[in-house]
Amino acid sequence: MFGYVKPELGELKMKEFGRFRAAYCGMCHELKKSYGTAARFILNYDFVFLFMLLSEGKEPPEMKMRRCPASPLRARCVSCRNDALTLASGYSVILAYRKLCDDVRDENGLKKLKAKLKRALIARAYKKAVRRYPDFDNAVRDRLAELTELEKNREPSLDRCADKFASLLASASKDRVKEQILYHLGRLVYIADAFNDLEEDLKKGSFNPIAARYGLSQAADKNTAEAVKLTLEASSGVISADAELLPDSYWTGIIKNTADIGIPKMITSVIKGEYVASPFRPLRNVTLKENGDDI
Amino acid sequence: MRDPYTVLGVSRNASDAEIKKAYRELVRKYHPDNYHDNPLADLAEEKMKEINEAYDEIQKQRSSASSGYSSYGRGTAGASGGYSYASGNQSKYNEIRAAINSGDLGKAEAMLKEETARTAEWYFLMGSLYYKRGWFDEATGYFQTAATMEPSNQEYARAYNMVNRGGYPYRNTYSTPSTTGGDMCDVCTAMMCANMLCRCMR
Repeated sequence: MFGYVKPELGELKMKEFGRFRAAYCGMCHELKKSYGTAARFILNYDFVFLFMLLSEGKEPPEMKMRRCPASPLRARCVSCRNDALTLASGYSVILAYRKLCDDVRDENGLKKLKAKLKRALIARAYKKAVRRYPDFDNAVRDRLAELTELEKNREPSLDRCADKFASLLASASKDRVKEQILYHLGRLVYIADAFNDLEEDLKKGSFNPIAARYGLSQAADKNTAEAVKLTLEASSGVISADAELLPDSYWTGIIKNTADIGIPKMITSVIKGEYVASPFRPLRNVTLKENGDDI
Repeated sequence: MRDPYTVLGVSRNASDAEIKKAYRELVRKYHPDNYHDNPLADLAEEKMKEINEAYDEIQKQRSSASSGYSSYGRGTAGASGGYSYASGNQSKYNEIRAAINSGDLGKAEAMLKEETARTAEWYFLMGSLYYKRGWFDEATGYFQTAATMEPSNQEYARAYNMVNRGGYPYRNTYSTPSTTGGDMCDVCTAMMCANMLCRCMR
């Protein structure tokens, strides 16, 4: 369910692209340093966004040059550890672990095995993160338990289900603006992910909130897709409007790019059924395609 | 008070036209319409006030001689987000409206749940409540019911139209300030032109 929130790289300024890479690499290095090598592989764009959103201040964070297995020869500029980075990486570990727990429960066969293995790999990292942020872990666990309950009862209200995941994400910040941005990010990701999984869920016969809401037994028709798009765009609109209310920070340009261009584009491609959620992918492989379209 | 030039994001020696442009851009961004029914509307309003004050301040500083400026809608900005109090003697509904407008959604929900009569207004208020909470899908359903029950009511029809357009009237998605087109064709054409120019210079 992660990998939906990312900036449109082709629309970033050069300096912003450099900054984004420093954030991405910073998260990766921080995960390794604090939580071990295995934790590195949970990294995705959503967690990088979380880091940027939680950061404060216009001053550039301290940077240093670092090599890593993905870029063994050329050292990259990397954001040093700071409060936001520590917080975001801890939260990321908790979110990733809880998500894997869900997968272990919901999936079958090979996928279940894979999830179990991954969960075992980051179990130590998770324990460490929980010691640091017990409140966040409690909030995540409670919301997910409530969500499971709703899903078990085949809740027909899409918003009621999405609200659980949205509130879970919102608990990552106490700031009013950031909280609301996170809420709508959560709502958006939950619904978009449900739409993405629709056909697979129907085939397997497992619960899907969109199928429950619209009473679907086969792939979404045009009207349903349009309705889902509308509700996703409403959240995306709130995120855009709210992003303007954030105090200026070093990352503002990238955050606004994500809110104004990245997310609407993601919605369009999810609705078209073309979206592939991208988890871990080292940024150095980014190239602009001929049509200047995607990464 | 903060330096008015910083607020508008222009340099001290910017021309009047530049300042006006920056001011207009900011007004567009923080316009109450963009924060209609958004729980953070008050923050946008503050921002708007700051921008207006900064603009006024600069105009005052500069217009020792010239005159005739006007900043955006004094007073109207404050009237954002509020529902017009419809006619009727239902004081209870009005109380619910007030609760929704002030952001006390828990109270509004409890009062609505208590109510047994399912009038069009009840559906409309449920819709407003959910809309403010960010439950847009639920809100759409309630607004639709309200609009179908009382097709002549402008308020319900407006609300239903609004959710059907995807919420906020003037959203700034897609268009970054610098690029107006944003269309893939434009990007391609621009790239081709740039490519040709590069080749000429070689």
